[in-house]
Amino acid sequence: MKLNEKSVAHYATCNSPPDKTGFLFKKGERNTAYHRRWFILKGNMLFYFEERESREPIGVIVLEGCTVELCESESEEFAFAVKFDCVKARVYKMAAENQAAMESWVKALSRASFDYMRLVVKELERQLEEVQEEARSSQAKNKPKKHQPQVQGATFSLQNAAITGPSQEGVSSRENGVSWSKPTSVPNGVSEGSVWEGDFCGRGDGVKPPPVPPRRKTNGGSPESPVSPGTGCFSKLHEWYGKEVAELRIEWMQSK
Amino acid sequence: MRFNEKELVFLSRQPPERAAELGMRGPKKGDVVKRRLVKLIVNFLFYFRTDEDEVSVNQSQWHRYHYCYRYLFLDEAERKYLFECDSQEQCEEWIDAVVKASYEFMRKNLIYYRTEIHRLTGKDPLEQYGISDETRFQVNSGLPPPPT
Repeated sequence: MKLNEKSVAHYATCNSPPDKTGFLFKKGERNTAYHRRWFILKGNMLFYFEERESREPIGVIVLEGCTVELCESESEEFAFAVKFDCVKARVYKMAAENQAAMESWVKALSRASFDYMRLVVKELERQLEEVQEEARSSQAKNKPKKHQPQVQGATFSLQNAAITGPSQEGVSSRENGVSWSKPTSVPNGVSEGSVWEGDFCGRGDGVKPPPVPPRRKTNGGSPESPVSPGTGCFSKLHEWYGKEVAELRIEWMQSK
Repeated sequence: MRFNEKELVFLSRQPPERAAELGMRGPKKGDVVKRRLVKLIVNFLFYFRTDEDEVSVNQSQWHRYHYCYRYLFLDEAERKYLFECDSQEQCEEWIDAVVKASYEFMRKNLIYYRTEIHRLTGKDPLEQYGISDETRFQVNSGLPPPPT
């Protein structure tokens, strides 16, 4: 399999802020001794370098679909393992320098997957809708005292979210104990025919990226369903957001 | 650079967000458009040779993306890819999917929702899940570090 290594390695060292960095001991593949390596976690990729100053990573571990467990090691204290579901998968054994570091890494790695991030986003989107709905209905009722919309908590566990396939419309439960009422889509800000600069590498001037336009329902509470990537509603999306995105971009460019 | 290939191959066989046979032209000079089975799974774009099982993958962190009619242009820092779709509609669906298949895009959405909910309710929605301190969910995430 070919990976776009140069690009991926560039992602490791470009100036977008990493999610976590630090030294860890990593058990070698052939040479089973533990080697001290510098680790950089960005998104769902864990890069490791020979030294902190090294310009290129020795390797990367894609964390999608992994589980992270504490493990017993004969030689190392504070050891943990990154495991995958697939047949003959390699187990990555690592060790931290102290208890706090180990716990911190285990937490960070087990929540690093794209799938996990997507689940959290969907949940927050649902909560925001609820909050907005409460605010709308309380305004309609015109209550005399101030109404505090409550955030409804869903019972779900965010430990070690394992990939069970990307979210699909109508999925209502998952193996890891997460359950959702209605999956909804994420807003985007792409307008037709224009060039959209991905700014994941960040800019050196500290300018904030443009805000993502919020999802909106059409006026009059029509029963139109939320747009989703699978239903080809891009032209609708374009209409709804195109104007706002164009305005936002102009605003943002002018503020730079 | 080493990478966990077996796990990526396994990932390439999971249900995709989007998959289609598209024309694809690679970044090298002299590359021509070839038919490839293209699959978008989480933030990876896998492409399979239609006659063989061989698969390549690009981690989906495009520097630039734009489209024109039914052609989708995805650029890495120095390399440009072209995808030829069957229709403008299909092209629009793909760019929509590719935009959303970005970790940073997801993160920005999360921060947006978190901030909004906090603004409207005074409560941090991540607190009840014990993840409000995670670096990756901080409101100033995604920005470059201040110059030293």
